[in-house]
Amino acid sequence: MTGILGIYFFDERWNVCNFGVYGLMALQHRGEETFGLEIIGNSRNKIEGEGLVEKILINNKKINGHICLGAVSPSISELQPFKLNDSVSLAIDGKIISIEDYRWDSTLSYENNLRRAFKGNKIEDAIDFFSRCKGGFSYIVVNDKKEMIAGRSSLGTKPLALGKMGFEGGIIASETCVMEVIGERVPISPAENIEPGEIRVFTPLSAYSECIENCTKRAYCSFEYVYLARPDSYINDIPVYRVRRRIGEILAEKDDIDADVVIGVPETAIPFAMAYSNKTGIPVEKGFEITGRRVRSAMKPNQLERLKGVQLKLNVISEVVRGKRIILIDDSIVRGNTLANIVYLMKEKGAKEVHVRIGSPRIISHCPFGVEIPPEDELIGRHLNEEKIAEVIGADSFRYLSIDDLAEAIGIKSEELCLGCFSNSYPEV
Amino acid sequence: MKVLLVGGAGREHAIAISLAKSSYSPRIYCISEMINIGIKKLVEQSNGEYFRGNINDPNVVSNIAEKIGADFVFIGPEEPNFHGVPDKLEEKGIPCIGANKAVSEIEMSKAHMRDIQWKYKIPGRLWYKKFKTFEEALPYIEEYADSIALKPARQVGGKGVKVIEDIQVYLQDDKKKLKIAHAESIVKEYMKDYDDTEYKLLIEERVWGPEYTLQCFTDGRSILPMPIVQDNKHAFDGDLGMETGGMGSISCGLTLKYGIDDERSLLTREEYEKSAEIVKMMVDAIQKETGKKYHGVVAGQMMLTPVWGPTIIEMYSRFGDPEAINVLKALKTDLIEICEAIISEKLNTIKLEFDENAIVVKAVCPEGYPNRRDLAKNHPIKINNDIINNENIIWASVDINNGAIVTGGSRIVECIGIGNNIPEASLKAENLCEKISLEDGWRVFHRSDIGSEKFMERRFSLANLAREIYQYRERKGLLGKRIIWMPGKGLIEVG
Repeated sequence: MTGILGIYFFDERWNVCNFGVYGLMALQHRGEETFGLEIIGNSRNKIEGEGLVEKILINNKKINGHICLGAVSPSISELQPFKLNDSVSLAIDGKIISIEDYRWDSTLSYENNLRRAFKGNKIEDAIDFFSRCKGGFSYIVVNDKKEMIAGRSSLGTKPLALGKMGFEGGIIASETCVMEVIGERVPISPAENIEPGEIRVFTPLSAYSECIENCTKRAYCSFEYVYLARPDSYINDIPVYRVRRRIGEILAEKDDIDADVVIGVPETAIPFAMAYSNKTGIPVEKGFEITGRRVRSAMKPNQLERLKGVQLKLNVISEVVRGKRIILIDDSIVRGNTLANIVYLMKEKGAKEVHVRIGSPRIISHCPFGVEIPPEDELIGRHLNEEKIAEVIGADSFRYLSIDDLAEAIGIKSEELCLGCFSNSYPEV
Repeated sequence: MKVLLVGGAGREHAIAISLAKSSYSPRIYCISEMINIGIKKLVEQSNGEYFRGNINDPNVVSNIAEKIGADFVFIGPEEPNFHGVPDKLEEKGIPCIGANKAVSEIEMSKAHMRDIQWKYKIPGRLWYKKFKTFEEALPYIEEYADSIALKPARQVGGKGVKVIEDIQVYLQDDKKKLKIAHAESIVKEYMKDYDDTEYKLLIEERVWGPEYTLQCFTDGRSILPMPIVQDNKHAFDGDLGMETGGMGSISCGLTLKYGIDDERSLLTREEYEKSAEIVKMMVDAIQKETGKKYHGVVAGQMMLTPVWGPTIIEMYSRFGDPEAINVLKALKTDLIEICEAIISEKLNTIKLEFDENAIVVKAVCPEGYPNRRDLAKNHPIKINNDIINNENIIWASVDINNGAIVTGGSRIVECIGIGNNIPEASLKAENLCEKISLEDGWRVFHRSDIGSEKFMERRFSLANLAREIYQYRERKGLLGKRIIWMPGKGLIEVG
């Protein structure tokens, strides 16, 4: 997954640069390894680098322009936005699997295949190209005519939203939280969901939308709701926080455990734990303290980095766990070592029982649409059942959320969700 | 009876239709800078005459009125008022529906309007500062970081207003730069052709809430308020894009209901009455200030804000465009009877009657509007009988050029949809919009979202939110007050 951002001011006197920087910071949770921000005005300039977007804040003052295209990526090898040709740049979240009337050349990189398949520099060229692309993706492109085109693939797998800045311009971003950080105050003009198959066009004279015909099949990414998106975002008009609260409630409804305290693993699982507590009446407490900056440990590319992240992030507060029976809730379990580490720490600090609940179904399979999931032989859920996992991580009990319960919590029929990483069954693109 | 209509935009076409429906069967004459084919048809049908000329020249207009022996003149737009066309007509003894030069100051000078509102303590007054030069404004903008509206201190065809929301400290520097750049262009560009106001730049506090226009007839003694209309200023769907003269407007009953038999409405009855009271107070105040009588149409372009509830954003010394189309379409009372009552100052004897129907008006514009009218101009319009004879298509900025009907650079037509509720009326307007295209393939656009269910839901929830806050302030006795505490200075109260 990637966070993508496009900002368009109609009035050329605006300098978009800081809007771009803060907009990308609001998307930072979607990728912490590389970033890029292209600023388009009288000339085109690009700032890019590795690590956190905050780095751009230094020495960006000289760059001017009223349009920008940016991205944050969780992969060190992926630097976005990138050029499709001399005049067109692209930021894309997700994956294009195939392109109508184009034979994929497996000897070329993914980017180079897109470059070969893409022709022209006009709005119509971009619309035609992305209409022929199959897969699960959202994209924003800018060209040298100061035009910006953005859209979602017809399945709607990846999110994309439109925000407004008064009479001044518009924002396209992976998540609506961006609009609250850099856009107009929300009561006045709430962010709008861009519909699957919809294409949004901005030109110096106009802004309008078009639609790919005959796209009624949906495969919204369910992992966005569980883990990827920020809880203050709306994905497909559904508040992410509401889904996470509902997940906590469902976990509580399915449980009948006598426990003393509920603890959520920061940050994503906190709302699950709060809802679980509210539902059962078992008090919720803050179980961990963070050392250093917040990092998304599961997104770190290697094991050592992940463990460093986990241990710094998750120091167990002894007073909370000593002598207690604990319901410990996490958003997902991938390899199991994070949880094993936490449960071990809790027991070491005197926890009587630790019952682990996971706010998502078991992850058993890869994501063809770009969510970074480890190879299948590293996925604990693919190889062990719940009892065995409990033994491995040292928990007194262990339970997942079921796939049906996840669909219920999201509030979208499971036929309209992509549940591939949980079910190993993928939507037809 | 002979009536001379001044102006040739959509608003004037709507006025012409209402005049033509009158039981007085008047001969309709018109003067405007471009030839509006809709008005032209009504002029011809009533055996009147169409003149092309400068409507802002009091001599030109009054000479034509004299020549044709007009019983009265109806002035559509604001500029003839500002230029004293009604005054000249009065001098010559020709009755006129149109605010004279003195009273039309409530629209022309936005600074003067605010002065009056504060002097007479009229509710719904926004905090403001006025400046004669850019240099005078500069230190002020440098020092105060706040959400503001920058406006030319004079009405300049609705152009030049910029609203800058400045609440995110991390974006403050960029916003300040733009405030300064825009303040400079207001003084040096937008105002450069106008020397009739003392002040050049107005800075107002920025407020939010649903906007609405309350248009009223007045004879200077009383006012007759019409149904409120909501205009939509953003150029593109979803309230996106530049500010325009108005891309479409909705109305249903006095308080803008969702539908005829619907409980939901944008304003409460109380807010409607409060708004009318505010407009009446403005009319009384301007008459007292100038010693002149107000004969014509007055409108409050208002907003239901958290600070005040009903609040004046700007005043109009005439009908709004497209808002005129909504109220005139719904008006059941004979327009000429109303005009006569204004002229004889017996407006209190008239009871206005309106249809309860939901009415949605949508403007179709050539691409390039509003900022590049040079590109939007002179494109031939595809014409057929279906369009020409449709009474729900109002012609706006069009002209006849070498026999061809061409775009004038602004809104081409305004399409009316009527229904039991607003979304239904919106769909009907939508169908008419689809009929409009240009011979040379130049792109036209309109807003398909205006009046849709989703759109209405947003407008109503915004109104509810603003209402909750202003009612809380009202209960606390804080209406219109802004209290701040500055370290070292203590409590400061504004307003």
